[in-house]
Amino acid sequence: MSTQVEEQPVAEKPPARTDWGAVLALECAISALIVLITVFLWGVTTAGYFWPMWVIFALAVPIVIQLAIRWAIRKPPGHPRALAIVGAVFGCLALIDLAIYALSGGGYFWPLWPIASTGLAFGAYAIVVVALPHLRPRERELEERVSELTRTRMGALDVQAAELRRIERDLHDGAQSRLVALSMQLGRAEERLEGQPEVAELVRRAREEAGNAIAELRDLARGIAPPVLADRGLAAAAEALGKRSPMPVTVDAELSQRPLPVVETAAYFVVAESLTNAAKHGGGAPAHVDLSEHDGRLIIEVRDEGPGGADASGTGLTGLRHRVEALDGTLTVADVVGGGTLVHAELPCAW
Amino acid sequence: MRVVIVEDQALLREGIVALLREQGVEVVAQAEDAEGLLRIVNGHKPDAAIVDVRLPPTFTDEGLRAAIEARERWPGLGILILSQYVEPVYTAELLASGEGGIGYLLKERVGEVRAFVDAVERVARGGTALDREVVAELMRTRGGRPGDAALDELTPREREVLGLMAEGRTNAAIARALVVTPGAVEKHISSIFGKLDLPSTDDDHRRVLAVLTYLRAAGD
Repeated sequence: MSTQVEEQPVAEKPPARTDWGAVLALECAISALIVLITVFLWGVTTAGYFWPMWVIFALAVPIVIQLAIRWAIRKPPGHPRALAIVGAVFGCLALIDLAIYALSGGGYFWPLWPIASTGLAFGAYAIVVVALPHLRPRERELEERVSELTRTRMGALDVQAAELRRIERDLHDGAQSRLVALSMQLGRAEERLEGQPEVAELVRRAREEAGNAIAELRDLARGIAPPVLADRGLAAAAEALGKRSPMPVTVDAELSQRPLPVVETAAYFVVAESLTNAAKHGGGAPAHVDLSEHDGRLIIEVRDEGPGGADASGTGLTGLRHRVEALDGTLTVADVVGGGTLVHAELPCAW
Repeated sequence: MRVVIVEDQALLREGIVALLREQGVEVVAQAEDAEGLLRIVNGHKPDAAIVDVRLPPTFTDEGLRAAIEARERWPGLGILILSQYVEPVYTAELLASGEGGIGYLLKERVGEVRAFVDAVERVARGGTALDREVVAELMRTRGGRPGDAALDELTPREREVLGLMAEGRTNAAIARALVVTPGAVEKHISSIFGKLDLPSTDDDHRRVLAVLTYLRAAGD
């Protein structure tokens, strides 16, 4: 464990990163050299009014600003960092005013005005940034509620999808298997009834009924989750859909792991419906399916080379959009330049 | 003819064994998972294995995978897959798995006792026995898609005949299904053999080759 912690920063650090500490050191060294030279020049020339102090002032300003910014950007991102950067700029301006006042020989304390006005502005900014969220607990409460609801809805939908797959499996092992066994027993009975054709006919009809029930259960199970999707995952299921399409379909899939069942099923139906549409309106033109992941999102693209002009408000696509939006995803349908239709869907997925 | 059966559900497995024994088929061993399949095929060297697609431990497609592996190890082993679904991906993998009899039937076909026993025998002899649903699915797939040049030369009627051959039907059965004379069916079949440029060995073998050419092209 400890070795991992030690190794990580080394591994993550890009090799060609600028070393700001070294830059600063170099800058200080050069500045010191320049100061030495000017003081020497001042000594060997007039030695009157100590003008090199303005050179020192000019050289000190960038160094101070740099130190202040470096301090500020080490703060955690978000409000603290923004506040620190604004504070650093304010501090530098105040310091510069004070330095000019001191170097120019004092007198009327004019820096009061710029410092007071920028100070007021900074104070107001700090209040807005730091205090406001605390002053509006309702907004914060709502924010937390929304994120909680998003999380629980996703969880509920996923539980539902997993439950449906379990039901599908139970149908397979339970009712479907029993009906198959029944149909088999009836078949054996039929074989022994050769001498009684009327009874054999009744048994045959009973067997056919069992067959119809099996077929209905099969359609039902397929609607829940096609077996190839449950067995082999999204890429294989998309390939299978491609093979079933009347037009040539190519599938490119780059998925490192299987998404949650609910996301997988939604993605499957996006591909299925899009290919059905492409088959219906594409006039047999080829179609391409692209499955990839980017930034924690599953991207599904189905492109056909048909005439385009898909009706995005049709029932199929609308149903699909609702399914995708329920998972906080997006679905767009667009015409491709040069012909064809592109269905683009994105689904967030906690891998 | 010696067969083995791999099915995890005891009710079905025992039912199939009883049914086949009643019909005079010699069932030499049974197993309930994919490992069991490899073990009993190795031990008994059967003519054919009847295998359920979904087997423990994951209940996905390990029956199919194990059957394909068995076929690689023991070329010529007939494989009859039983499944509750028609899945073209699985059929295509099975068809690509090398020499030997091949069958893919929906489980409920077991109830059509005579047809089921015929299918088992055909697969054990190196023929094909594909469910009519499988063939229908493959025909739909091939629909308007350009494919193998030789296959594209077939007339729609010849394709229909080839589809029925893939199900494993006899010429007489094909003639009945299409409401034509057996003579017409024979003409179609010899035309198919000619177009697919199949060697004139025995008719059974050519039949298998024609069907495989057709099915493999459809599965690609």
